[in-house]
Amino acid sequence: MMARRSVLIIAVLLLAVIGLAPMVVMFARSITVDGGLSLEFYRNLMASDRPWRLLGNSLTLASLVALLSTLLGVSLGIVLGKTDIPLRRLFTLLFTLPLLIPSYITALSWADVLGGSGLASHFVSAAWIKTASALLFGLPGCVLVLASTFMPVVMLATMIYLRTINPRLEEAARLVSRPSGVLRAITIPLIRPGIVLAATLVFLLALGDFGVPTFLRVDVFPTESFTQFSAFYNFGAATAAAVPLAILTIAVLGGEQLFLRHRTDELRPASGGDDLPRLRLGRGKPLVVIAVAVLCLVIVVIPLIALLVQSGSAGAYIRALHTVGDSLVRSLVLAAVGATALTILGFFVGYLIHTRALAVWRAVDAWTVLLFALPSTVIGIGLIALWNRPATNLIYATPLMILLGYLAQYTALTSRATVAGLALVPASMEEAAAVTGAGWVRRVILIVVPLVRRTLMGGWLIAYIFCLRDTGITMLVYPPGYDTLPVRILTLMANGAPDLIAAASVLMIVATVVPLAILALILGKQRRSR
Amino acid sequence: MNNAIVRATCAVAAAVMLYVSGCSSKDRNAVVVYVSEDQVFSEPVLRDFEKETGIRVKAVYDTEEAKSAGVMNRLLAEKDNPQADVYWAYEPIRAALLSQQGIAAAYQSPSALGIPAHFKNPQGYWTGFSARARVLIVNKSAPDKPTSILAYADPAFKGKAVIANPLFGTTTTEIAALFTLWGDEKAKAFLAGMKRNGVKVATSNGESADFVASGQFTFALVDSDDAANRMVQGKPVEMIYPDQGENEPGCFIVPNAVVLINGGPHPDAGKKLVDYLLSRETERKLAQSDAAQIPLHAGVETPAAVRKIESFKTMQIDYATVARKMQEIQPLLKEWAGL
Repeated sequence: MMARRSVLIIAVLLLAVIGLAPMVVMFARSITVDGGLSLEFYRNLMASDRPWRLLGNSLTLASLVALLSTLLGVSLGIVLGKTDIPLRRLFTLLFTLPLLIPSYITALSWADVLGGSGLASHFVSAAWIKTASALLFGLPGCVLVLASTFMPVVMLATMIYLRTINPRLEEAARLVSRPSGVLRAITIPLIRPGIVLAATLVFLLALGDFGVPTFLRVDVFPTESFTQFSAFYNFGAATAAAVPLAILTIAVLGGEQLFLRHRTDELRPASGGDDLPRLRLGRGKPLVVIAVAVLCLVIVVIPLIALLVQSGSAGAYIRALHTVGDSLVRSLVLAAVGATALTILGFFVGYLIHTRALAVWRAVDAWTVLLFALPSTVIGIGLIALWNRPATNLIYATPLMILLGYLAQYTALTSRATVAGLALVPASMEEAAAVTGAGWVRRVILIVVPLVRRTLMGGWLIAYIFCLRDTGITMLVYPPGYDTLPVRILTLMANGAPDLIAAASVLMIVATVVPLAILALILGKQRRSR
Repeated sequence: MNNAIVRATCAVAAAVMLYVSGCSSKDRNAVVVYVSEDQVFSEPVLRDFEKETGIRVKAVYDTEEAKSAGVMNRLLAEKDNPQADVYWAYEPIRAALLSQQGIAAAYQSPSALGIPAHFKNPQGYWTGFSARARVLIVNKSAPDKPTSILAYADPAFKGKAVIANPLFGTTTTEIAALFTLWGDEKAKAFLAGMKRNGVKVATSNGESADFVASGQFTFALVDSDDAANRMVQGKPVEMIYPDQGENEPGCFIVPNAVVLINGGPHPDAGKKLVDYLLSRETERKLAQSDAAQIPLHAGVETPAAVRKIESFKTMQIDYATVARKMQEIQPLLKEWAGL
């Protein structure tokens, strides 16, 4: 018991030092003016009606993105995870692609398609392109880009949660109902917690996004914080401008907790294998395949083709490799190390939340999600304020700062994945081992971790993707001469050759997909060998 | 087998830790530079410096398009424990702000001797080099072409003009310069006239240039490298140096500015880099590149497309005064831009 308590306390302390302390530093600045306590920054923020209008815009955008992502993601998750549709692995991979690349690249590729002189202008009339362009550079375009970027979160969550349903429940229902009725009355209600979790995540991601709305000219609330940072260099005012987002995040989380409060699941233990009973699409199969293919074409293939067309020749790729090769290697190493560290810390934080072993479990859970939703600039400046001291120079002047940034912002991803995984492990298994005298460390290593191995791997993959595509924190804390690929692409976008930027973006996609594909192959091989 | 796996894991972990912790800025034969000039233009110059001096350059890049939020915020946040030796700014106003904050160190570079006095701080807190002109990029198909920035408030161009957000970048600098040149009353009237004329606000100079290139607007006030870049790409645009008439103020010039950071880890290497950036050779390279920047040293060889500084009328202003004015008018600009 002592070992468990000690390890969990260490995890909480780590999270406090890495994530909480920078935020405390920044919050203190937001309530201090000329050395004295003051709410001046907050009063100034609320002095006009503009912040309220922007908050309204942000809520509208985030709600629409969450709604569209949920509708599309759940539908696709069920079709790809539950039915006998052909090419489902290919479709899953394709639909996941937009999540793997920074959303500003997706926005850029859509501008290459629908912009004034974009790809589409060669095929349609000028009036049509004008209308499409006006839609892209506005709320509809912003919703499209963000929903296509974040929809895979819901789709993958749906597919993962479908695996957790005890098949006996569906089999029993099938005796008295058609497959569509089983889906409506049994399957979807059972996976609703996963859907709510994913929709909440998408809502928070869209709420905090700044790059895409700015590029597509939609005024959103994060602009307030960004303007204070970049035009006035006022860290206190910038943090004050981030606080309403934090309050909104807490409110959304409270809603999620309320929704899930009285839920009881009958879930099956985590198991490997592609052994889901699949629904037969029957005569409707061609229609479903066409619908999925068209959706894939619109939200994935067209922007991808725009990037490929823009990159032009093999020469552009050779130049891109020469220009960004070192950044690419750094990105892969940092993302892998970051994901591993996040998986380890997230496991213990998730374990704490699941078992409620320390009284602070609820605060820890809320804190990780809050950090996930805060503007990365606030976290980045907080990290600089905390770590840039002569005594900590050995950490500050190295890529460890990037890793600290990842841990500060993304722990919620792996802790939440762990909580979801642990929910499938009956407490009796760990208890039985305890009765036989196994210590906590042995129980965790030999029983808990193997049972949630697949969930941990899923968490690692998600963390890897988020670390790889990060620009917000990395831009502020990367050591000189040590940039990552997304940061390099961002800085090259200013007056850089369009073909080089497109080729670098394609390399970024390949760099993300290849390690994931290798990992999927290894997992598949392990499954078959069992 | 298990031991082998454990040993391999430990080896990989050790290698990774060495990798992620092995790039301290305390490397003696190195110089740390924060750069807000576009990377495509600045990186080749820094690579040449590395080759010629053997001093390793560790750079943090940012862009005007990203509002220089990254490096400026870093420099300010790192004030008490500076990590950078040199700041290469894309314009002198932010450099002047750093000297006001005590972040810049005074350094009179020998390479700066040929640079006109009004492009450098008298104490050496910043020194200008390789300038861009603030020009009008105009769509070639436009029947009437503007020749002055006053066209923004001219009803003849109502709804036809776009400008980058005046709260950021060189547009802020130019508006602040107009306030110092004209006085507050006339400058505010000009801003009000722009608003009445339905001027569109873009996110950056680059976006403004793209709007004009695509024919959505007739003209925009941008940096000369934004205009030159679109011309190199074959877009149907031309570049007009504004306000060249007898009673007109001339074209606003935005030099790059280099700052030696106070208390940086490599002061000697920092000075060498400052000297290198201010040299005639660096100005020649930046003029020959796609940046098409205007040398401030007299007599530097330039391609035909790059006009020499003495060949057109430039706006005569004091950059330190503009820096102070910029801070003063930012709340007004925020309100004007609706931010």
